[in-house]
Amino acid sequence: MNKNLRITNNKFIDQTSRISFKFDGKTLFGFKGDTLASALLANDIHLVGRSFKYHRPRGIMACGSEEPNAIVQVGNDPSMTEPNTRATEIELYEGLEASSQNCWPSVNFDIGAVNNFFSPLIPAAFYYKTFMWPANFWKLYEHFIRKSAGLGKSPTQPDKDIYDHRYMHCDVLVVGGGISGIMAAKTAAKNNLNTVLIDDKNTLGGTTLFQQNECFKINNSYSNDWLKKEIESLNSLKNLTIKTRTSLAAYHSYNYLLARENLTDHLDLNEKKDKIRQRLWKIRANKVIIATGAIERPLIFNNNDRPGIILSSSIKKYIDYYGVKCGQKISLFTNNDSAYETAISLNNSGVIVNSVIDIRDKTNSLIVKEAEKIGIKIHWKSTVVNTNGYKKINSVEIMKLSDDGTAVIGKKIKEECDCLGISGGWTPRVHLFTQSGGKLKFRDEDNVFLPDKSELYQISIGSCNGDFEIDEVIKNSLNSINKFLNVDNDDYKNLEIISSKEINKKNIWLLPSDKPMGKTKSFLDFQNDSTANDIKLALREGFKSIEHVKRYTTTGMATDQGKLSNMHALGIIAETAGVKMGELGTTTFRPPYTPLTFGAIVGRNVGEFFDITRKTPIHDWHVENKAEFENVGQWKRAWYYPKKNENMHDAVQRESKAARDSAGILDASTLGKIDIQGSDASEFLNRVYTNAWSKLEIGKCRYGLMLNEDGMVYDDGVTTRLGENHYLMTTTTGGAANVLSKLEDYLQTEWPELDVFLTSVTDQYATVSICGPNSRKILSKIIPDLNLSDEEFPHMSYKNGLIDNIKCRVMRISFTGEHSYEINIQSSYGESVWEKCFEAGKEFNITPYGTETMHLLRAEKGFIIAGQDTDGTMTPVDLQMNWIISKKKFDFIGKRSLYRSDTIREDRKQLVGLLTDDPKEVLEEGAQIVAETNKKPVEMLGHVTSSYYSPNLKKSIALAVVKNGKKLKGQKMFVPMKDKTINVTITDTVFLDKENKRLNA
Amino acid sequence: MLNYNSPINDSKNYSEIEISELEPTTKINLRGKSRDFITKIGKELSIIPPVDPNTSSGNDSLNILWLSPDEWLVYSNNRVDPKKIDDLEDKLYNSISKVKIGSVTNVTDHWVIINLKGTKAYELLSAGCPFNFNKFKNLKGAVTQTLINHTDVIIHNKNNNDLNIFVRRSFSNHLWLWMNDSARLI
Repeated sequence: MNKNLRITNNKFIDQTSRISFKFDGKTLFGFKGDTLASALLANDIHLVGRSFKYHRPRGIMACGSEEPNAIVQVGNDPSMTEPNTRATEIELYEGLEASSQNCWPSVNFDIGAVNNFFSPLIPAAFYYKTFMWPANFWKLYEHFIRKSAGLGKSPTQPDKDIYDHRYMHCDVLVVGGGISGIMAAKTAAKNNLNTVLIDDKNTLGGTTLFQQNECFKINNSYSNDWLKKEIESLNSLKNLTIKTRTSLAAYHSYNYLLARENLTDHLDLNEKKDKIRQRLWKIRANKVIIATGAIERPLIFNNNDRPGIILSSSIKKYIDYYGVKCGQKISLFTNNDSAYETAISLNNSGVIVNSVIDIRDKTNSLIVKEAEKIGIKIHWKSTVVNTNGYKKINSVEIMKLSDDGTAVIGKKIKEECDCLGISGGWTPRVHLFTQSGGKLKFRDEDNVFLPDKSELYQISIGSCNGDFEIDEVIKNSLNSINKFLNVDNDDYKNLEIISSKEINKKNIWLLPSDKPMGKTKSFLDFQNDSTANDIKLALREGFKSIEHVKRYTTTGMATDQGKLSNMHALGIIAETAGVKMGELGTTTFRPPYTPLTFGAIVGRNVGEFFDITRKTPIHDWHVENKAEFENVGQWKRAWYYPKKNENMHDAVQRESKAARDSAGILDASTLGKIDIQGSDASEFLNRVYTNAWSKLEIGKCRYGLMLNEDGMVYDDGVTTRLGENHYLMTTTTGGAANVLSKLEDYLQTEWPELDVFLTSVTDQYATVSICGPNSRKILSKIIPDLNLSDEEFPHMSYKNGLIDNIKCRVMRISFTGEHSYEINIQSSYGESVWEKCFEAGKEFNITPYGTETMHLLRAEKGFIIAGQDTDGTMTPVDLQMNWIISKKKFDFIGKRSLYRSDTIREDRKQLVGLLTDDPKEVLEEGAQIVAETNKKPVEMLGHVTSSYYSPNLKKSIALAVVKNGKKLKGQKMFVPMKDKTINVTITDTVFLDKENKRLNA
Repeated sequence: MLNYNSPINDSKNYSEIEISELEPTTKINLRGKSRDFITKIGKELSIIPPVDPNTSSGNDSLNILWLSPDEWLVYSNNRVDPKKIDDLEDKLYNSISKVKIGSVTNVTDHWVIINLKGTKAYELLSAGCPFNFNKFKNLKGAVTQTLINHTDVIIHNKNNNDLNIFVRRSFSNHLWLWMNDSARLI
């Protein structure tokens, strides 16, 4: 620290614990309790970044989340680095490394700064206007523009930090721990309401915490001393949870709010390890009290963006809270009384205050008189017309204002300074209120938007509700809190309060300069580099709506969402366009209030918790036997079981050959299973499936197709009649939950008269499917006392059985076209039964097969998969399954739609088989099918839905949907691919065992 | 012999949190609307099914959880011997389903019970469950059907900081891992 910029009598910073950190590679020191910004200022570093467009030097401007300039990159580890963090919000810790953004090679010497000299050529919307032509050049332009307009570097490796989420439910949520928030929290908690108080800082108290001024006293104590006692009294409240370092990010409908808590960001590097970095709170509050305070406005004048120009209230916080002098000769520029509080604080700490430049004619409020009393010079009715100093301000130029405030008059005074505090009044933080859907009203007297109507249980209190003076804050907050919580807290009723009153108000949105408008640079949006001239240009070019001007000039579109500048943009638009500000409205404040890390949004849903996984009871066996897995919905299904060096093709060829030649075994546990009971169960099935069910005998199974109301195939599966009033329905794996909901919905809303009850039993049973010519022999070894003869146990029937005294159901059904059984047994025995089948099948070379082989085997038989061969536009007729539509039934879901003019059209796309001329050529699923290749435009007649090489048929087979396909059997078609055209012939959908000999064998 | 395999078969201890699988337990889903149905259950189980939403009733051996106006879940309080033939299902099936007054479905292996105990049990739940437990935690016997980390669950408040969480078997392993991961971070 070359200059001594620390004061020593500070109560908030522990000046005994020194912390070393690095900024732009240089090792510096600060103290515990500092923010990066306060530590940099203590090291006399103001220049921390370059502006977005013109690469102008920029310095720390504020002390909180509203900071537009001090945006830094934290960390340099490729997995941990974080861009776009505000130096004013980073608590200093041992080992912190941070660097400036948007500058190259360094913040002190930045090549991009040439933009500043060309700035007259880069007006608002320069990029939109310039890089429009030729359109295909954008790819080229983009590369360069992105590079020069970066906002920090993204990490290139996965984030190593831990984040998590928490849900919280409370009676009252108080957002903001300033004086009004503390009053609210205390009142609520004392009245037995489960209360949560959050604040984004590391301590409660807001700005009153360091307000030690004769002009602001409560019950004869300084306001800060009074507040400290109030804060201490919170500790004894049982119903109160206090969360500091917690920033409210979003306020949604029905009082659902998101807040981010920083848990370890402030800890030293070695203390952070293995701890949760940030936590996202998902809060449901019965009532919300917003006490978020106000943001000081800057003033808009020529060259108002130089490093060293800082909001006046921030200068006060740096000196009174952090004990850091922002400069040694400070000038203050204001339109209101707040700057005088800063002047007095600075003076008390021994900093030279050059003068206060006040645009008002004169005022006699208590605090101004106090400032005058201690000898502070005031330039009344004056404005700053220019500032000097490239990398840091070194002087201001002051002139008198004309009576109407639109021009400057008289002689220019130059005042040397190393810091300029600016204060343009206060903007209530209404962001959360508007996020929640609340409407704002405008108060002309001091040009503020205030909360008006809201549909939610919420109130705004304190300065975010437009009360800026301490007596008003206390009085009005208390009334609002008592009314809102329906309580009567009189703790704060008879306080004796001294508070300086602001008597005179004056506001000029864009301050005049002695230079012509076009030659000035008066910044509005410091982060996005938009100036008052840009706004005026946009208006000249015909943009009138604030939303359009915002997008055209990018004002308010930076990461700070224009917290400082939006009001001035509105003011200038209103003035220029001659409309009232209240009528103009504001742009929309959207969540998050301050940027959230992706980590906090995602929480623990990373890595193995990225998505839910479902496992069958036989999963472990598949893993041990080196299965590759396929995601089917959330299920992990065995896909194929490669043996040494086998790829998927080889494995599938082997598995499918084994299943047809001898025996295969498949884990079919994922199929949806619904237990149906009730006296109307048969009638129910009649209504949900297209075919008839009344005559299905007990002990028999039947395949059913379920349609949507629009007549399109929705799901399919086999249903077994277990008893007179008892069925077991199976659904597709992916469709299970939807089918159950749909059926339950029908029972509750459309057919309440039916006596039917549904219960999901998907997870109750493991399903082991054994298929192939030897499947009967294998089953007979497992359940020896079951009669497996075709007469006793034919295809599409079921038997109860016992394996080791455990009940099971055996269905003789087949999805492969082979003689096949499905054993359904309680899941806890699934793996054991599987192993038993495997053991019993060894002599027959029983081969486990996965979903890929299952798909191939069923395709050979022309069995559809709902969702693969259908896509929500296929009727049963399109699938050439007319046989499954009952003509006799009165009704079933989708029946009426099957007779619409469009669904009875002959030339709809229909399911067909496809054979390639070259039997080795396997078509790509999704490939288009055409009749002619020469005529253009080429008419797409359909596409391939399933395609495989069948080792059993020794040729390539495919299913496809083709326009008018039914009538095109035997026709030659073409499948044009990128590098060739494949000749195909349309065939029947069944490629193997048309007579079902194998099924019934 | 067939081997019985529960999906988790484990228990873990963390600071003020215990998580364990409570299996094998008998579970039977009951559905019905008529007065007869309620009476029959009362007779067979000596417990009247609760009619108030999200409540339960029970005795030393069995609990009945309210799931919907016409659906209840019966489960055994303690672990059972999986090999011992339990005639409860048959008894209920014959007296309810067979006579067409409702449905009786064995869901013993459909659900897996994870028992969560300890003073920080609710803190663990708050990491992934949007339900408001403020009242629930003080209501012994309360039942809720909610989500934990996006997974459907039924939660039964057995006693102070002693909860039975019912999760579908196929999801149980994932939920188990998630609960352990969260418990370690509390």
